[in-house]
Amino acid sequence: MNADRAPGRDEPLLPNAGIIARREYGGLVRSRLFFVSTLVLTGLAMFVALLPIVAKLVDRESRTTVAIVASDPELLDRSMAVLQGLLDQTGGGFDLVVVDDEQDAIARVSDRELDAAIVAVRRPTGQLGFSFHLGETMGQQQITNLTVGVFGVAVVDYVAQNPASSFKQPGVEVFRALGDGNGGSQPFDASAFASRLIVGAVFGFLIFITIVIYGMWVAQGVVAEKSSRVMELLISAASTRQLVIGKALGIGLAGATQTAIVLAPALVVLVVEDALARLVLGQGVGLGSSISSLSPGLLLAFAGFYVLGFALYSLIYAAAGSLVSRPEDLQIIALPLSIVAIAGYGMGLLALTGGITGFIRIASYVPFWSPFVMLTRLSVGRVEPWELLLSVSLLVATIAIVGVIAIRIYAAGVLLYGQRPGLRAYVEAARHG
Amino acid sequence: MSLLIDHLDKRFGTTVALDGLAFEVPGGQVFGFLGANGAGKTTTMRIVLGVLQADRGTVTWNGIDSRVLPRATWGYLPEERGLYPRMVVVDQLAYFASLYGLAPDRARREALHWLTRFRVPELGSRRAEELSKGNQQKIQLIAAILHDPQVLLMDEPFTGLDPVNVALLREAFLELRDQGRTLIFSTHQMETVEALCESIAIVDRGRVVIGGAVRDIRRAAGQRLVRIAVEGDHKLAWIDEVPGVRILRPGFDRTEIELDVGVEPDAVLAAAIRRGVRVTHFEVVDASLEQIFIDHVGRPPDEDLHLAPSTELSDPNPATRIASDEPAA
Repeated sequence: MNADRAPGRDEPLLPNAGIIARREYGGLVRSRLFFVSTLVLTGLAMFVALLPIVAKLVDRESRTTVAIVASDPELLDRSMAVLQGLLDQTGGGFDLVVVDDEQDAIARVSDRELDAAIVAVRRPTGQLGFSFHLGETMGQQQITNLTVGVFGVAVVDYVAQNPASSFKQPGVEVFRALGDGNGGSQPFDASAFASRLIVGAVFGFLIFITIVIYGMWVAQGVVAEKSSRVMELLISAASTRQLVIGKALGIGLAGATQTAIVLAPALVVLVVEDALARLVLGQGVGLGSSISSLSPGLLLAFAGFYVLGFALYSLIYAAAGSLVSRPEDLQIIALPLSIVAIAGYGMGLLALTGGITGFIRIASYVPFWSPFVMLTRLSVGRVEPWELLLSVSLLVATIAIVGVIAIRIYAAGVLLYGQRPGLRAYVEAARHG
Repeated sequence: MSLLIDHLDKRFGTTVALDGLAFEVPGGQVFGFLGANGAGKTTTMRIVLGVLQADRGTVTWNGIDSRVLPRATWGYLPEERGLYPRMVVVDQLAYFASLYGLAPDRARREALHWLTRFRVPELGSRRAEELSKGNQQKIQLIAAILHDPQVLLMDEPFTGLDPVNVALLREAFLELRDQGRTLIFSTHQMETVEALCESIAIVDRGRVVIGGAVRDIRRAAGQRLVRIAVEGDHKLAWIDEVPGVRILRPGFDRTEIELDVGVEPDAVLAAAIRRGVRVTHFEVVDASLEQIFIDHVGRPPDEDLHLAPSTELSDPNPATRIASDEPAA
């Protein structure tokens, strides 16, 4: 049932695929839906780009106030100095205040005026004792920080009491596992890693939403052509290969256009993020711009995986669209594919936040998932060159195979009206067209 | 120059759509492709276009396999009309023509030319969804002819058109034929076939049951009809008394009466005179295509367009009737 298999008919992809793509692109970018969705997504991207500044602003307002009560002035001074020094290193935003009376401090914690109170006493044996009185705002991390802090107080106090001590500060060295290869696996400092995390999250989200939404538009376009019966004219004027590839190309380019429009202002915000932060938060409060993680290589990877991922998904969405006659039936038939994409996106997020486990590593080679997982892996920079090559090769090979099958199903499907062909019919269509 | 449909077989699952279908369309003619719904007309057209592939058999145009001919050889007006609802008419006409290889500028010029020929130049700037059904049909016909195809395949082109547009379409057909184009169309309207077609093929259950030149087919049928009008009597109940004669198509104005082979038309006239009625019109004609269709297919070509005969319900009680309509447990 496939006109493309007619012997001898010479039908190159161009110019018809280009003509079809131009119509699809023009129709889409001039639609009100495109305008509104671009506006909403641009706003969303700007919000995400501004999020670090907003977070910093909120963090600046929320500080943890801890009262220090000590049994003697010397201990009080030492506790204040050591705790302030150590807690500042944690970045937790601690403010220490001196309170003379223990009961008063405890009462103020109960009244939520203070977040916590530390009562330091020197016992007759010379041992220091610390009591923590905690309010409901204190989390486990903050308690750990305070515990480390009072241990520091005890050490400094011991040294002060025993000047000829044999205590020696331990040497500390930090080692990081680098994986089993070389090149491509460079460690990052914390701020660079956080920056790549943001870029990876944004790219992962964008590629997922663009592929799924625009892939569905391909399917909806096919269903609309079937339900309006314009398909009968189309299939007599152009080959199914030209129709499918032209449609996917036009809609894919519209998606790329929208992504560019959405990303451009967000990138500008990221470029000026540091200066903006100083303006809003005051001098001396830098952010360490996220734009530093946006290497040309990563942008190229995003573009490449978008093109390949969209090609794969749009071909299947086109075949899926050809099998139904009514728009309301499309969701049912497209759902399994959307679930596959969602699973890929979920694993991409895991690659960002949960480390690169064996399963995630394999998922980044699987063609239906690699556009999401490999891209986010690349964002956090832990990919060997051979892995990237394998992932792209498998994706390209799958597109070629899926393309042939999808076009055959499309050729059979677009002529089916009001029928519910069984699985056997699909298999036959895929085998013979 | 001819289109040769050579013993096409096509199955859809267990359904036989075409069963050795074969006929020839002489080039430069208007050809009627007749058959009841589901007879295989649309399937045949799709195979000619190359949209479907036959399980067996070939289609050739001027001796060349249709599957190697460029798509622009054909113009197609499908039975199910369809345009892009929100696309401006002239844009979509130019779009379809450009898919057939016309340059965009020329495609637009041709589109405007044909819109003017069909006396609807103002439709060019409108969206398809704003047009009436008849006007949408005109636009689709223009889409089919814009790239100047050698063969036009049209599935029920007259359905849904008012008489003015039917006349317009007929005129366009004849003009295209005079320009050397070959036109093939399916229809249930036998009057249109008689008025336009030089040759026909009647197809039933995927086979051609009769085909050839219309004049030859009608003469070969050997039957004749009488068209009669009687003042004050349109039922003509007395006609039952004449052996070998039956009413084919009753009418208030004129009634068409079928004569068996060997029965002379005079028998009807004589019966009318005997009855003492006043005959205001009497005409002897060859067998109609409709009658030939019925003879070969077993039912009228437009039977599906009419209600089935009403049957008496055995139980006049409405309540019982409703209950009995429910499926048995």
